Amino acid sequence: MMRRTLPTAAIGAVLWAGCLALPIFLDSAWISIAAIFAIYAIVALSQDVVLGRAGLYDMGHAVYFGIGAYATAVLNVGFGWPILATLPVAIVGAALVGAVFAAPIIRLRGDYLLVATIGLNAIFVLAMRNDLGGLTGGSDGIPGLGVPSLFGLQIESQSALFWFDWVLLGVVLLVMRNLDRCELGRALRYLKQDQLAASTLGVDARRTKILAFALGAGLAGLAGTLFAVQISTVSPSSFVFTESVTLFAIVIVGGQGSIPGVLLGTALMFVVPQIFREFAQYRYFIFGIAMIAVMVLRPQGLWPRARLAR
Amino acid sequence: MSALLELAGIGISFGGLRAVDDLSFTVGEGQIVALIGPNGAGKTTVFNMITGVYRPNGGKILWYNHDITGFAPHRIARLGIMRTFQTIRLFSDMSVFENVRAGCHLRTRQHWWQGLAGLPSQRREEAEIADRTSDILKRLDLETVADERAIALPYGVQRRVELARTLIANPKLVILDEPAAGLNDRESAKLNETIFGIRDSGITVLLVEHDMNVVMNVTDHIVVINFGRKIAEGNAATIRNNQQVIEAYLGRDDDETEEAA
Ligand SMILES: Nc1ncnc2c1ncn2[C@@H]1O[C@H](COP(=O)(O)OP(=O)(O)O)[C@@H](O)[C@H]1O
Ligand SMILES: [Mg+2]
Repeated sequence: MMRRTLPTAAIGAVLWAGCLALPIFLDSAWISIAAIFAIYAIVALSQDVVLGRAGLYDMGHAVYFGIGAYATAVLNVGFGWPILATLPVAIVGAALVGAVFAAPIIRLRGDYLLVATIGLNAIFVLAMRNDLGGLTGGSDGIPGLGVPSLFGLQIESQSALFWFDWVLLGVVLLVMRNLDRCELGRALRYLKQDQLAASTLGVDARRTKILAFALGAGLAGLAGTLFAVQISTVSPSSFVFTESVTLFAIVIVGGQGSIPGVLLGTALMFVVPQIFREFAQYRYFIFGIAMIAVMVLRPQGLWPRARLAR
Repeated sequence: MSALLELAGIGISFGGLRAVDDLSFTVGEGQIVALIGPNGAGKTTVFNMITGVYRPNGGKILWYNHDITGFAPHRIARLGIMRTFQTIRLFSDMSVFENVRAGCHLRTRQHWWQGLAGLPSQRREEAEIADRTSDILKRLDLETVADERAIALPYGVQRRVELARTLIANPKLVILDEPAAGLNDRESAKLNETIFGIRDSGITVLLVEHDMNVVMNVTDHIVVINFGRKIAEGNAATIRNNQQVIEAYLGRDDDETEEAA
């Protein structure tokens, strides 16, 4: 009911606004960690559109993240486009690739779809490593990206970049919340739970799933631009298969279709490891154990989607 | 009476089994038509072919004289044909309210981008959908369980939820697969009224039912099939006295014969 969803959204909005003040309190290393969190939160939310909402086993989602990053890097470094002008290209380009790739394979059963998406990831990384069209710079990637400028102001400092990322995270969070409350979002849930029943109610499974794929890919593309700007070098290693696996795991561990769950999952996967930097080699050991424990003890995720909402 | 739906010699095979064979009948606009027959006769399969779940490998299905054979389920729904399932198919993670609202899918006008942007026109439509859902819940006596998880409710209530989900779409034809299965006597008596109510609101009804109390009392026209073939057709009185029908039920299941006789 409204009564139940409203406070969560309101608390979320207040938390988000509070986080905007973080640069005042944090040193520059932590500001950049917080900025990276926002970027990966967007990618994880976009993975959730495809995996958590539509129930499509996409284990190659880093591809769309990569397409966004490369679109920005190539256009900015190679062609001198301003960063902000590359943003729509990154979003639309990733969305188009997502839609075109999804169209023929969307009918596949979950496990087959999974393998197909892994294949796409492998092809993408290979293409980038081999300097596709002489544009992507091979294994070393593309260094030396510029910074975005807004109304003549250069978004250059660590804090400015942080705000840039967090404002866009805010927009994405709003879109995700709206997705929960519109017919597209509901249609995805119908399809995920019972495709036959959904179809007999008039849901066009193919069209709706392709749309979900495109939407998820487009949001990942947006995050790709932010990522490229944040680290100012784009290289294939950021978009390899293990990155896709991590994104997949964030959604499953955090809670499918749950905005707070996915944010929590992102924090656990990307921020907590920074805290335990010293124990580098044990980090993944502990993570592996934690992931197994969550799946055994709490298969619906750490912060599951609120059920029975109106 | 004009033909709303016409099956012209449809058939389908599963492996070597001819589940439905050369079946023809017509559903007139405003009628209540029953499809009956022993278990395994092919009734559900017929419904699955009409609603696009299975594609017939022979014959034609006509809707207002247009060929709709082999249309995908969502296209069939778009024509105004809605169904329920013999094995109830409610969305398991959703409340009664959410399940019933799902039937509104085709009545929404919002585009995906309007939804994602949360535009005022979309918010208005959301409010309308919620109102419409509340109305239909009231009509089918479901308002008290609106926020319950649908699949945790008694069978009879679940059947009503599934029915509400089809009716909210304002269909031209509803197809009900054993709507009385699992209902107690009181509920099944009430079902008769509900079915009349549906017809009176201008919706044509095609149903499969074993409960002869329901079949004999509510239908205008009965089609009897056995082993996938039509063995009789007519009004309740004709069917009740048809020798082949009596035998079909006798040869199979004694219970149902008693009810049929
Ligand atoms: N998908 C399927 N695959 C194989 N056989 C099927 C399938 N669906 C139905 N059948 C067979 O078709 C026959 C008719 O089944 P059905 O239509 O469910 O009967 P009814 O609804 O009249 O009880 C049965 O023999 C059943 O086993
Ligand atoms: Mg049946």
